[in-house]
Amino acid sequence: MKNTISKYYPLIPVFIAYLIMFLIGFSVPGMWQMVALLAFYCALGQSWNIFMGMTGYVDFGYVTFIALGTYGMSLGISYLYHFEWLGIGIIFIGILLALFLASLSALLEAFIALRLRGAYFAIACIGINEGLRYFIEGAKLWGGSEGLIFSGALMQALGREVANQLTTFWADFSVFIIAALAAFLNMHYMRSKIGYALTAVREDEDAAKVMGINTTKYKTIAFLTSGLLGAGVGAMAWGLKLGYVYPGDVFVIHYTVECIVVVLLGGAGTLMGPVVGGLIYGLSKYWLAIIMPGFQLLIFAPIIIIIIVAFPEGVIGLLKSRLRGTKYKMFIE
Amino acid sequence: MVSSQLANRESMIFTLLAGNLAHGLLLGGVYGMATMGLSLIFGVINVVNVGHGQFIMVGAFITLTMFTALGLSPVVSIPVALILGMALGFFFFYTVMRRLIRAPELTTLLATFAIGILLEEIAKLIFGADFRGYNWGVGKITLPITTIPMSKVYAFIGSIVIALFLYFWLSKTRLGTTIRAVIEDNEGAKVCGVNVGWIYALSFAIGIGLTVMSGVLLTMFIPVGINPYMGGVYTLKAFVIAVLGGLTSPYGAFFAGLIFGLIENGAYTLFALIPGVAPFPLTISLAFWMLFFLLLVKPTGILGK
Repeated sequence: MKNTISKYYPLIPVFIAYLIMFLIGFSVPGMWQMVALLAFYCALGQSWNIFMGMTGYVDFGYVTFIALGTYGMSLGISYLYHFEWLGIGIIFIGILLALFLASLSALLEAFIALRLRGAYFAIACIGINEGLRYFIEGAKLWGGSEGLIFSGALMQALGREVANQLTTFWADFSVFIIAALAAFLNMHYMRSKIGYALTAVREDEDAAKVMGINTTKYKTIAFLTSGLLGAGVGAMAWGLKLGYVYPGDVFVIHYTVECIVVVLLGGAGTLMGPVVGGLIYGLSKYWLAIIMPGFQLLIFAPIIIIIIVAFPEGVIGLLKSRLRGTKYKMFIE
Repeated sequence: MVSSQLANRESMIFTLLAGNLAHGLLLGGVYGMATMGLSLIFGVINVVNVGHGQFIMVGAFITLTMFTALGLSPVVSIPVALILGMALGFFFFYTVMRRLIRAPELTTLLATFAIGILLEEIAKLIFGADFRGYNWGVGKITLPITTIPMSKVYAFIGSIVIALFLYFWLSKTRLGTTIRAVIEDNEGAKVCGVNVGWIYALSFAIGIGLTVMSGVLLTMFIPVGINPYMGGVYTLKAFVIAVLGGLTSPYGAFFAGLIFGLIENGAYTLFALIPGVAPFPLTISLAFWMLFFLLLVKPTGILGK
């Protein structure tokens, strides 16, 4: 019994970090927006890391899931708001639509792209992302390039009071929930058969196959989990919170790169990594936007390059090798 | 009466299609040349240059600056772009890429993307974010089906000359065959006494040089819309073309570019006939579905075995 619980010990620092962030945002006036931004990066990093950290596959088109999640929520609200009897139910329908769209695309990608490896996989993922974006614009699907604007619809359906609460508090709060859920699932997978199978895939996929591991099945599980969590973040932090969606705004590879930067800063394939990375990245982005507006990218690009070259294992990776063999080891993963 | 109108409409569509295909063939040649650098770099050091389009943007700004500030023809910019591009290539190789030769995709993709962002932001700092263009009046030729500006013809000829030059350099000279040996099998080349480290550096620099040079040819072809963020779409097109050509083969990339140009313009003409859709994004979308399909059925490319 002790064993089953102690294998989840590394979750403790992660949950404490999220709790502290939440409490600071909730109690200190004016801090909620910043904490929400940090939670957004932590959640995305954590979700992206589930697939990449365990398999070594780089999903460069991850933003597809976030974008489809946003579209799911947007479609739910903009096409169903006039059914008054649905009430708050349209939010849940929106979430379900987000998960449905994301799992559809995740399964398609898993079926086709997961047969590819390395650079080919990354290119295929970028291809799907751009193909979807331009298809929505070209076929004038779901509002085409004009997108969907539904903040008015949300207010009409639920009333100004409830709509305001949803967009200013519950949307951000659910990002915290998703971040915690992602950490738990990550830990759970790491300590289960799935984790061992995927570690084998990461080390040597052909050998794993020969040993009788159904690599495609486990890769698909991790890919789907990662994609669905991303869709959840998109539905809440972009769809519900902002009240509009444009294809040119959501299908942007830069957001995938932000996920990668968050994960790499903290330490790829670690549990604490995305939290630490999300905090460092979110805080420095917020701070740079205040002191040097317009120059964030110019400063970030060389910093990213230096980090890749000098500390490819990230903060937690460094810490892990420092704490190896001490009693704190079991809290760090 | 109705049937003659219909026949008239059909012949109009045919002329339009033929004219657009002629433009597409010329553009395809430039596209092909613009992808050779990507394929060369992937072939030699196994790195997908996600910042590819941003190097094309550098070439575009070189052309623009030489033309507007110094009054020099874009033809002069071609060697200048090659030299500056190779210098940039050596710089980024020795500062960044050299340490990432055996690194996982995660770091190489992120590093090249960061280099792309850096170039974009520096260009924005120097030139501002406006769309710019220039007018190189060298006349045009009129064919029965369409009118083609001479600048586009020069860009096409330039691309073919550069592609042929690269072909002979890679197949006939000692250095070129060494590079091909490293693409085939770098361990084997090392055993045969090839200084692989230097070949990596040189190939990366030539790849970047070719890419920056292709920026000059692309702006000869499309002399408007030059701005720091123009590169992204070319990166994505280059991916499609490179995969079509087999990803490691510069020649494959050139022929794939020709095919891509024809498909792009042909599909655009046909999509424009469908009411209620936006033909331009739909054409780009088609390119990516094509990429996806190709990766599935023939990841070795059109010239692959």
